[in-house]
Amino acid sequence: MDSVIEISGLYKNYIMDGGLEQKVLKDINFIVKKGEFVAIMGPSGSGKSTLMNILGCLDRPTKGSYVLDGREVSGLTDNQLAEVRNSKIGFVFQNFNLLMRRSISDNVSLPLIYAGKNDIYRRERALIYIRKMKLSGYEDRMPNQLSGGMQQRVAIARALVNEPQIIFADEPTGNLDSKTSDEIMNLFTELNKDGKTIVLVTHEPDVAMYAQRLIRISDGQKEYDGSVRAYMEKST
Amino acid sequence: MIWLIIKEAWLSLSSHKLRTFLTTLGIIIGVSAVVMMVAAGQTVSLVINNSFASMGGNLLMIHPSFVFTSGIKSGQRPTITAADVEATKTLKGVDAAAPIVRATAQGVYGANNWTVSIRGTTPDLITVNKWEIERGEPFTEKDVKSASPYILIGATTANELFGFADPVGETIRIKNVPFKVVGLLASKGQDLMGNDQDDVILMPYTTVRQRIQGSRIPDRVNFGYIKVSDDEDLETASNRVKMLLRSRHNIKEGHDDDFEVMNMTAMVNTIKTVGLVLSILLAAIASISLIVGSIGIMNMMLVSVTERTREIGIRKALGAENRWIMLQFLTESIMISFLGSLLGLFIGITTSQIIGYIMEYEVPISVWPIILSFSVAVLVGVLSGIIPAYKAMKLDPIEALRYQ
Repeated sequence: MDSVIEISGLYKNYIMDGGLEQKVLKDINFIVKKGEFVAIMGPSGSGKSTLMNILGCLDRPTKGSYVLDGREVSGLTDNQLAEVRNSKIGFVFQNFNLLMRRSISDNVSLPLIYAGKNDIYRRERALIYIRKMKLSGYEDRMPNQLSGGMQQRVAIARALVNEPQIIFADEPTGNLDSKTSDEIMNLFTELNKDGKTIVLVTHEPDVAMYAQRLIRISDGQKEYDGSVRAYMEKST
Repeated sequence: MIWLIIKEAWLSLSSHKLRTFLTTLGIIIGVSAVVMMVAAGQTVSLVINNSFASMGGNLLMIHPSFVFTSGIKSGQRPTITAADVEATKTLKGVDAAAPIVRATAQGVYGANNWTVSIRGTTPDLITVNKWEIERGEPFTEKDVKSASPYILIGATTANELFGFADPVGETIRIKNVPFKVVGLLASKGQDLMGNDQDDVILMPYTTVRQRIQGSRIPDRVNFGYIKVSDDEDLETASNRVKMLLRSRHNIKEGHDDDFEVMNMTAMVNTIKTVGLVLSILLAAIASISLIVGSIGIMNMMLVSVTERTREIGIRKALGAENRWIMLQFLTESIMISFLGSLLGLFIGITTSQIIGYIMEYEVPISVWPIILSFSVAVLVGVLSGIIPAYKAMKLDPIEALRYQ
């Protein structure tokens, strides 16, 4: 199988206000293959958010190599990274991050604007994914007329609309109740079965259980990389 | 892509209708104020030009110099004669010349009474002051020689004495002397000082001197108008007139003139300059409101960038390049100033035309001030959008997404 993510010797340092250098990520190495469902866990301050930002091409590593879908992205400019995010990555956030004053259809088709697609095409594509997320009939509503679970489904539709290589979900169930969480996680499982590569950041073991593989970050270093089930059994 | 940006900008603006409207209002007021003030200034200039044209162009005026008694201007010695005025016609560059004798007397026609303002002159005045005769005929040089009681009547005077009846051929009495109306003058409206030029009666100056004033020196006149040909320099002509009058009055070398030659065109040009300065001043004051309006745009856009930090983060995360973000915010501010300018132009032009209609002035609509204030307003939109748009562009997507 092809690899979607190849990370080797990845470091991230931040310069603090006082001039002190803080090493947030230290020598991270892993490969994510096409069709994998990976959970990234770790206590707060472990560096998992920083790792997620780098994986999502929102940030650049200080040192090391990050190959996304066959392209080295660690040295790209802001605009090149924007183009990579637009064409290869779908984002799902904890607080949904929808544009509150725009319709569901506008929200879902937003990434296609930056791909330069015309109105008719965007509306058409948006409707396909709105239907797929079982939101047909809501396309002209506003996000605040929808429940939290529905809003997150809108966000997932938006993440899928540009047919990305990989989906990054950052605590996607953090703002949802447990029943809705299950619903959303089942959606991710289904997407994974359809062949989508998914990387999920969470601190909830229940949510991580939906993935097959777990990467655990602690103190900026990879602490565990393997089957979720094996880790959960070991830790209980 | 431009179309997409315009559409996105429009959707953002229309989702904050009241705020967008209030910001636009600043520009509307600014542009309409500039347009109205420029229109006001131009109307003043137009009124000045029209009254100047009605007086007749390229004019010199000669009148006796003032007499000073112990340093106080105490009056004029009657030094100018009709013959002096007539003599200037022999000079190079002089087209026509007409003496003026002024008189005021009571005019009577039937039961109607009116204080008439009389100008005694020669037929040349018709050319010099650009009078037109609506009906009838002017009096002639022969009438001047024989001091005939023939008069030309102005529209206002005719109206006061005759009502709607035709005055030509009728006889009126002034100081109990009968005068025959031989012609009706076409209306000229107000002069530069706001006096009604149509409240007038023209007759031979000899008639005024002999029949109304009863003077023994019929040749004395109050002043004279000299019409200089269009291709002649007024200063040169003025000097020639001075030389001629000095020799006619036997004024010796080193002695002062006993008359004055006034250049009417120079006087009018001074008034025109005052009018222009006034227009510029008005436009400058109005443009202050345009500046205030543009500060309003910048203020709103800065608030908007802060308020929409999350939105900017989302757009960036989903693949918006920096220029996209920059252009979106820039387009929003340009759109506000563009729409504001259009509405401002419309309101400014409409209002000035309505006011002109009510005040009975012809208000000109000229293209250049419109193009200028419009482009200034759009430029203002770009300038006040640049800082907020740059701020939006520079936002770090990670920070922006975390913003609550």
